[in-house]
Amino acid sequence: MTLPRHFGPFGGRYVPEMLVPALDELEAAFLAARQDPAFNKSFDELLRHYCGRPTPLYPAHNLTRHLNGCHIFLKLESLNHTGAHKITNALGQALLALRMGKTRLIAETGAGQHGLATATVAARCGLGCTVFMGEVDVARQYPNVFAMRLLGAEVVAVADGTRTLKDAVNAALKEWVQHLPSTHYVLGSALGPHPYPTIVREFQSVIGREVASQLQTLTGRKPDHLVACVGGGSNSIGLFAPFLDDREIRLYGAEAGGRGPAPGEHAARLQGRPTTGIVQGYKSYFLQDEHGQIQGTHSISAGLDYAGIGPELAWHFQQGRIQFSAISDDEALAAYQLLARLEGIIPALESAHAVALAARLAPRLPKDDLMVVNISGRGDKDLFITARALDEARWRAFLHSEVHRDQ
Amino acid sequence: MTNKLDTVLQTAPRPIQLMTHVVAGYPDWETCSALVQTMARSGVRLLEVQLPFTDPLADGPTITAANQAALDAGVRPEDALKWMGEMAAALPEVAFLVMTYANIPYAMGLSRFVDACCRAGAQGIILPDLPLDEPEGTYAEEARRQGLHPILVISPDTPAARLDFLLPQASGMIYTTLKVGITGASKDLAPASLAYLETLRRRTQLPVAAGFGISQPEHVAALRGRAEVAVVGSHILGLVTRGDISAVEDFLRACTSL
Repeated sequence: MTLPRHFGPFGGRYVPEMLVPALDELEAAFLAARQDPAFNKSFDELLRHYCGRPTPLYPAHNLTRHLNGCHIFLKLESLNHTGAHKITNALGQALLALRMGKTRLIAETGAGQHGLATATVAARCGLGCTVFMGEVDVARQYPNVFAMRLLGAEVVAVADGTRTLKDAVNAALKEWVQHLPSTHYVLGSALGPHPYPTIVREFQSVIGREVASQLQTLTGRKPDHLVACVGGGSNSIGLFAPFLDDREIRLYGAEAGGRGPAPGEHAARLQGRPTTGIVQGYKSYFLQDEHGQIQGTHSISAGLDYAGIGPELAWHFQQGRIQFSAISDDEALAAYQLLARLEGIIPALESAHAVALAARLAPRLPKDDLMVVNISGRGDKDLFITARALDEARWRAFLHSEVHRDQ
Repeated sequence: MTNKLDTVLQTAPRPIQLMTHVVAGYPDWETCSALVQTMARSGVRLLEVQLPFTDPLADGPTITAANQAALDAGVRPEDALKWMGEMAAALPEVAFLVMTYANIPYAMGLSRFVDACCRAGAQGIILPDLPLDEPEGTYAEEARRQGLHPILVISPDTPAARLDFLLPQASGMIYTTLKVGITGASKDLAPASLAYLETLRRRTQLPVAAGFGISQPEHVAALRGRAEVAVVGSHILGLVTRGDISAVEDFLRACTSL
């Protein structure tokens, strides 16, 4: 038995032949694990007792009143161990790695949340760990870099290309192909060559399953609207997956609109005239020039700062099943502050894009409708970005005093 | 029309041919042209021209950096093919092969890409991240129709069942890596690599080109009788990056005279 390799015309396994056996091995291990009650039991138990699942579904009354539209519920993935949904997939893949007899995990990371999650499960499972992170992101997500090293991981700053998430993926793939027998590559997003997009979706779809049952308990209903931010797409496909077949439920994705629509200023792949490409092992929509060279991107949030999008999301975009909107850096920062002040919840800058989209949609929707917004991560990791953006004078004064403390 | 790659491999004057590699437009057009002339003068008859790409998945640091530098200098796929056409016309004894990553032909349109390669005098196409079992794998048929060889790249870990699928579709030659990894110069060739070549040769009638890690004339000598072609990429590019074109000639002469 094998898994479907494509999502409509997207996805596939566009890799050099030397990666094919490793991807076949991974697919076989995943299929066998899924059938194995012992694997499922240990995964479920660790999700409950280690990661803190199920995460709460919180009725955000203050935000609902403020926006004066539909009812808003926040899925607090931010309350997972390590502060984001990423640990669910990292844990699942670490258990697969153990089944395959691997001794080391490697990962790419943008915001650092996936790297942190991988470093965490590697420590828990007694596996070695190396995390690849673009130089730009190492500089802007220092709290996560420090934590990964504390957990025993090696953090490699990637200086190639645009020095962000895309280049971290390239570096991780290249490292993997040189160490296939010992190493499992824990891809953190629902992208890359088959079977990664399917494996990541399957592990993350616990988010959507929890939402379905929690909302049923709270309201006796199913959701009308689901909102998530979309970088590569692991938190969004995880939330959406169990609801894709129910056409009554509207699905919305928030892309990074950055500083504006000029090339290199954003990571909104599905606005304007999206173009398909074949990059990093899969076919999907990519921000690229007319010659097929991948373009630079910008987002205030490192986790959305990526030129491609998961192939399954590309397919649902083409089919009109998911609506995608671009949220600018400024809108995301405003939503970040709004949620902090109204609900006492500081979201990750990535998740703040989803909050901003919800704030745009909710006032125009019937008051009786139910909307769930995925708060994919918490915002403490963004200190170096947000403190500078929102409170620059005091932030600089603090850094200055830190530097001169011992002099 | 006969394909020049076949001619070179059938009338091989030496026990092993060298296939060298350049990144089009790197470090600049003039040096790149001089480099190709040097290679031809030193006896190279198979030459791989890489069209630079932002995300070269199979390449190590040397070639990745050269790709980026060429792109920074504004090299476009069309420029690269036009330049290659001029080199191919000036050096009729050399079989030129176009190497790049899937997104470049995909963006151009696969048929247009094959046409453009053909018009630029290419004898073969190497696309390491475009497997034949994906829909765009049809480029191989298209290339063959126009008299070009789509060159498959396999590796020592390619399983027997996969080889049974791939080998019947191969043409011109089989390009195999000597290690599982990325491009880059190595100090030694592992004995396992040499043993692997013997098993591969028992499975195919096609000439075998072996590469990834070749950096010494002794490596080339060790491949004699085990492969028809030794591929030298990163090592020469490393010399070019250090600005040492004359060392390229010395190296190639040492390889061909051993």
